[in-house]
Amino acid sequence: MKTCDRRSVLGAIGAGLAAPALWPSRPRAAGTLTLYNGQHAEPATAVVQAFMNATGNRVAIRKGGSAQLANQIIEEGSASPADVFFSEETAPVVTLAKRKLLAPVAPETRAAIPAAYAGKDGAWIGVTARCRVIAYDARQVKPESLPKSVLDFATEAWKDKVAYVPTSGEFQSQSLAILKLRGRDAALAWLKGLKDFGRVYNGNVAAVQAVQRGEIATALVNSYYWYAVADEIGTENMRCQLHYLGAKDPGALVTLSAAGALASSRNPELAQRFLAFMTGEAGQRAIVEAVAEYPVRPGVASPYPLKPLAELDPPDVTTDDVSDATEALSLQREAGLA
Amino acid sequence: MTIAAPVRREPAPPWLALAATAPALLIVLPLAYVLVRAWGVGAGGVADELFRPRTLELLANTLFLGVAVTAISAVLGVAAAWCVERTDLPGRSMWRILLALPLAVPAFVASFAWASLDVAFQGMAGAVLILSLSHYPLVYLPVAAALRGMDPAFEDVSRSLGRSGVATFFGAVLPQAWPALGAGALLVLAHIFAEFGALALLRVQTFTTAIFSSYELQFDSASAALQSAVLMALTLPAALGEMRLRRNMRFSRSGRGGRRTQRLQPLGRWRLPTLAGFSALSALATGVPAGMLVYWLAVGRSTARGLSDLGAAIAGSLSLAIPGAIVVTVLALPLVLAASRHGGAAARLADRLPYVVHGLPGLVVALALTWFAIHVVPGLYQTTALLIAAYAVLFLPLAQSALRASVELAPPRLEEVARSLGRGPLAAFATVTLPNILPGVGASLALMTLELVRELTATLLLAPTGVTTLATEVWSRANDGQYAAAAPYAALLVALSAAPVYVFTRKSLELHDL
Repeated sequence: MKTCDRRSVLGAIGAGLAAPALWPSRPRAAGTLTLYNGQHAEPATAVVQAFMNATGNRVAIRKGGSAQLANQIIEEGSASPADVFFSEETAPVVTLAKRKLLAPVAPETRAAIPAAYAGKDGAWIGVTARCRVIAYDARQVKPESLPKSVLDFATEAWKDKVAYVPTSGEFQSQSLAILKLRGRDAALAWLKGLKDFGRVYNGNVAAVQAVQRGEIATALVNSYYWYAVADEIGTENMRCQLHYLGAKDPGALVTLSAAGALASSRNPELAQRFLAFMTGEAGQRAIVEAVAEYPVRPGVASPYPLKPLAELDPPDVTTDDVSDATEALSLQREAGLA
Repeated sequence: MTIAAPVRREPAPPWLALAATAPALLIVLPLAYVLVRAWGVGAGGVADELFRPRTLELLANTLFLGVAVTAISAVLGVAAAWCVERTDLPGRSMWRILLALPLAVPAFVASFAWASLDVAFQGMAGAVLILSLSHYPLVYLPVAAALRGMDPAFEDVSRSLGRSGVATFFGAVLPQAWPALGAGALLVLAHIFAEFGALALLRVQTFTTAIFSSYELQFDSASAALQSAVLMALTLPAALGEMRLRRNMRFSRSGRGGRRTQRLQPLGRWRLPTLAGFSALSALATGVPAGMLVYWLAVGRSTARGLSDLGAAIAGSLSLAIPGAIVVTVLALPLVLAASRHGGAAARLADRLPYVVHGLPGLVVALALTWFAIHVVPGLYQTTALLIAAYAVLFLPLAQSALRASVELAPPRLEEVARSLGRGPLAAFATVTLPNILPGVGASLALMTLELVRELTATLLLAPTGVTTLATEVWSRANDGQYAAAAPYAALLVALSAAPVYVFTRKSLELHDL
């Protein structure tokens, strides 16, 4: 009787411990695409919604930082549940491509966008283009008094007047652009100057809002963050304004958000269809309506009053030049930022 | 076994030992992961990383923040507890709850409120202020409970010897409350070491935020692992201290005589200043966050944009927090039972193990479990079960503390009697012991629900694809600076936390009031 009791107790405990293990994980029906999304939520949700409406397929979105999700995909290896990875920057997709974790993008999809906006190895496509700018508080500084180059912001003259976001991928790309154009010493000096004289913010919107509130005179950000804040408080209320450096300065860098299909995807056809949709007419329209970035597909126009891409006069660097995450990290570590 | 032992100590029965093994194994996982990963860097790498100026900078920030917040929380918590329990402060029963209310406002919500109020609150000084305001209840509650349960005889003796009220407080009252104060203070310290969301919003860099950046920047997390190892080394003295204090606490309780009414100290001319001080404290700790949330709900244009996701986030929060609270409590119970009823080296070790990893940030625990799931049990990856396992690793010590007091008060003899009358072990436990320890179980469930509803970092990493919670939604919006869009989620999170805070406050203040 006693042993019998004990056995039943053990059984009950065993069942209790096993119960959570049997918890149903979200069922992944065939025809459901899993998207690892590091891009901002609004454009990703918009393109997913448009895709679901157009095709009837279901898409499950996993949110996270782009680098973090790439990290996760590397850790998951061939067991990754992800079908498509949408990254805010190119460095994470380039890293995945180097590790052979991405499947080639269908040639038709690549052909729909300019060759400069896709990986040379055919492993990924650009989805939107964005540009680095100087956000400034119009009450504190006049645009004519702003330095001609982004390098001059990392100096004592601008102490406590420059907000920057070292964890942002575009910021890292910018440091790589300086490395490519002016050499490693210049890039390191720039980062050290910012560490000494600038002010770290943990997000780009936070930096733009800091300028808007007059907390700080300028911020090194991407143009679309300004539109996000303007959407929130009204364009007419913006004391924060944008300055485009142009003149092929690294401060005028144009970068891409990018996407790729996982080599390990169990829905390879669906993944390719999603990539095609992202760069297709309907997908591009959905994305650029949700965020003030530039469409990569010719013939699609952003509803936002953006400064035309052709007038930005960005520096001459390739995507590969500004996508080396290892080098960006080593620079930041040397400068004491990471 | 010594003859003088007050309770007959038998080794834990097999069912209990087995039940205690599961949580113990769970704890070893992140420990092993951090050490193996950090070891992988190599001796040279370890030295390089440890002696970088950046590591020193982080060390200084982490220690300063931890010590400052703990000290201020201790002072505020003891002052609040003493005034509420031992003086004739008007409206004491109201203050008792009001002073615990900041627990309902997660630190990252308070930080987002203050940070959006004025930039001056961003930075180290602001972080010390905001985190102290949101953490002092962790000292206030145990100290208030200890003050209530204390034998007034010591104070009577002290006063009869002609000592002043102040001298009596420091000479007779505080020493008795010391274990409760110490345990609360160490809890604050562990929370500060592991805090991420609030500090990221306030732009203060500690080891925990650095671990996050390392992970964000780097495609292999060796450096993050090394920083975690350092953080664990910092937490270890706190964990050991907690255990020592707990041992002493048992002594302090054993000598308690019959219950007598506590004498109340008249505040006299200090009455108004004290009332004003508490009003200010409540206004700062609860009023400012609540006010800012209302402000953002009213003015922001992005408020409406996110509302459609609100239902999913509530469902996500509840579907994780409630089963999570039950599972963690159920896992903690055998640890506490085995250690306090049966003793033995293995049981004591299992009981203490969770404290060693307490203070590790959720991210590190999540990384360890991710690694484990991918390489050992792929079926568990990105399931609710794995996330709840992470919750258990993170919060077992809190559940254990909540359970311990009532387990120690429930006499083991009763269960032995039931067994001798022919009840099976489970039946005896369920019909005799369980009803006796229900207050502790209730306190643990309330505290776990509270902690799990606000848990951010492990949830971000481990939640099943597509599952969102109020905490993750607040975070992703506030981090993007969309304060107005974050506000409805934050307000709901606070509202949802108020119920467990109320239950926990009542349970912990009544527990010693037998």
